Amino acid sequence: MAPRKDIDYMDGESDSDVDVIDDSGDRGKKGKGKAIDRRKKDKGKGKSSEQPYAWEASYTRSWDTVQEDEAGSLTSAVADLVARGRRRRLLAPANAIRRTIIRHLIIILDLSASMLDRDMRPTRFGLTLEYAREFIVEWFDQNPLGQIGLVGMRAGLGERLSEMSGNPQDVLKALSERHKLEPAGEPSLQNAIDMARTSMSHLPTHSSREILIIFGSLTTVDPGNIHDTLDACIRDRIRVSVVALAAEMKICREFCDKTGGQFGVAMNEGHFKDLLFELIPPPAQRALSRAAGAGATNLAADLMMMGFPVRLPDTSPPTLCVCHSELKSEGFLCPRCSAKVCDVPTDCDICGLMIVSSPHLARSYHHLFPVKPYQAVTTLDDTSTPAKSCHACARSFPEAAATNVATTEGLSPLGRYRCPDCHHDFCTDCDVFVHDVVHCCPGCGK
Amino acid sequence: MDKPSHISVILDLSPSQWHLSSLPENPHPLSLRSFLSQLLAFLNLHIASKHENTLAVFGAFPSKSVMLYSSTDPEADNTENVNPNMYHPFQVVDSRVVTRIEEELESLDQSEEEAPIGLVGALTKALCYINRIIHPSASQSSGTTSEDPTTLPDPRILVLSVSPDLSTSYIPIMNSIFSAQKLKVVIDVCKVYGPDTVFLEQAAHLTGGSYIYLDRRDALLQHLIMSHMPSPALRKLMTVPTQDKIDFRAACFCHKNIVDIGFVCSVCLSIFCAPVPVCSTCRTKFPIKTLQRLNASRPPGLKPANGALKTAPSTPHTRGPSTPR
Repeated sequence: MAPRKDIDYMDGESDSDVDVIDDSGDRGKKGKGKAIDRRKKDKGKGKSSEQPYAWEASYTRSWDTVQEDEAGSLTSAVADLVARGRRRRLLAPANAIRRTIIRHLIIILDLSASMLDRDMRPTRFGLTLEYAREFIVEWFDQNPLGQIGLVGMRAGLGERLSEMSGNPQDVLKALSERHKLEPAGEPSLQNAIDMARTSMSHLPTHSSREILIIFGSLTTVDPGNIHDTLDACIRDRIRVSVVALAAEMKICREFCDKTGGQFGVAMNEGHFKDLLFELIPPPAQRALSRAAGAGATNLAADLMMMGFPVRLPDTSPPTLCVCHSELKSEGFLCPRCSAKVCDVPTDCDICGLMIVSSPHLARSYHHLFPVKPYQAVTTLDDTSTPAKSCHACARSFPEAAATNVATTEGLSPLGRYRCPDCHHDFCTDCDVFVHDVVHCCPGCGK
Repeated sequence: MDKPSHISVILDLSPSQWHLSSLPENPHPLSLRSFLSQLLAFLNLHIASKHENTLAVFGAFPSKSVMLYSSTDPEADNTENVNPNMYHPFQVVDSRVVTRIEEELESLDQSEEEAPIGLVGALTKALCYINRIIHPSASQSSGTTSEDPTTLPDPRILVLSVSPDLSTSYIPIMNSIFSAQKLKVVIDVCKVYGPDTVFLEQAAHLTGGSYIYLDRRDALLQHLIMSHMPSPALRKLMTVPTQDKIDFRAACFCHKNIVDIGFVCSVCLSIFCAPVPVCSTCRTKFPIKTLQRLNASRPPGLKPANGALKTAPSTPHTRGPSTPR
């Protein structure tokens, strides 16, 4: 990796911001791999060369992270970002894998005094709240059947900030009351993890139990032996992931390794967000052969009874709902006991039936049937009549291969990406869009 | 000043359905020709109502989907037969859409059995196209004119459907709906002929669009103008017809029955109408205990083939409240 960095460095003008670009590129290459410890080394190097002290950095440096090429256009910088996304995707397995669909996650927020550090702008605390909100929204978008609870670590105690809930609004509301979350004192990992663990102990075995810790401190004040807590987590098959804001701690790393979670240290604001958002897609269920892989839930699949409700329109006569006892017109009728609930998915308050709407189930189907990665077209010699324009968005392809774009792996100089099934060509943007958003190839229609 | 708007119109051009639609036995027969003339008037109205408005037309033909026209790619402006009595942009749209439809219909092979309609392809293409125009990127050198973000149009999709639902396209259509939600694209549906389609109903509901079943098909243009012309911003002020009741019940994977209480595999979320020992989708075996428990919780006398409980929300509650799980 080091030589590549040098080449990049000489390519551009010798500006200090070159390193910033480089960072993002490197991160992409490591990507999803288990190379977080290597990333950790990166951090040391990156930090030392790019900015001696965090407080010397300006408030935002977004204009530094892209770099113009000789012609003054941003093409190469954008292409680099695209390539990064492609490589990450190619690393992902293409065949269908078992994933945990019904997830239960407890987010443990560090609310200790160390969160007031200003090495991330505006403060670690402010940034954490902001990213946590985005994380929760995106998480519920991808895991509509999941539930999230919040626990805070403050003044040596674990504090329950919000109960486990399947409604993003409930969770976001707990985060929106900033004055109740003001950081103070020392954090206690053990107290917080124990609190999270006990609140998940009643969950059924087919759902996953996960803990995400956003940890800013370098110390933990525990009442007992934290290794007992670790053993309990392994026994309860709880997957613990940690995003550290300061530096690596042995106990945090151990928690992640032994429970099958992910550990990462945020280098900067963008990296912090990347680390968080890597935890959003449902984790693949791993085979039990890994003795220590207790974090991955077992293969004890189960058949669940679910009810599909009928939605009442706004114009129906108002009745009381069973969840808030409020007079409302719209609502959903439980198919078993005909009770009216306000929102789905939920458990019926009367008969306990799990009520979901079929779009909620369908939202998870794309994890099971992913689109095959498109292959980069490097030459048109083997195709008799190349399509003039992108099959999806009808943008015309460039006539000749772009010469100024470095031929990086997985990147087509012609800007064409071909579906292995229907053999249609797609442009770069559509390639990303199809795989990241639509999850359905426009050519094959499946 | 309100923003310009973009409409991606998806035409369902299934020859057999349009043939059925034009039969004189129908209360209001509508042929493809008169449909197109009304549609073109609507398209012209959209272009004329604001100069920055953009338009794309996609056609869903049997087993394929084609972009028929887009206002950002003015390729091959044939200027030879300019009608001096017609506003030029109208003429471009009209002639291109009609000639492309004719070309595509000519090129269809004449086998007696019609392939399923390529609605999913058209929908995903429309989404890709919208993604392209609302995120004009610099990654393509030949690409778009650099646009001021304030002039980027409000996108929406209008589906003019005549074909019935295709059960195999359930998952891709749902995926398209979710991506439309992400892009904040409104999907309007106008069901011109045939029975209601559940998938498109859900598409309109989930994206905040309006679903209109055309009762009087001779009034197509009127319906189009009154309910699909106003932009989403304008619809807050105007009352556009919406659906009142949406069926969120799902079809089980085993018999394609509509079920209101289903049994769901925890691994792949496949839906079954009765407890099964092995998931047919992911081959997961379920524990015997669960099966016994679920079977016990089902009221006696309710056979697995009970899925014919369609519609009528008053009848299906035959499962007594005495059997909580």
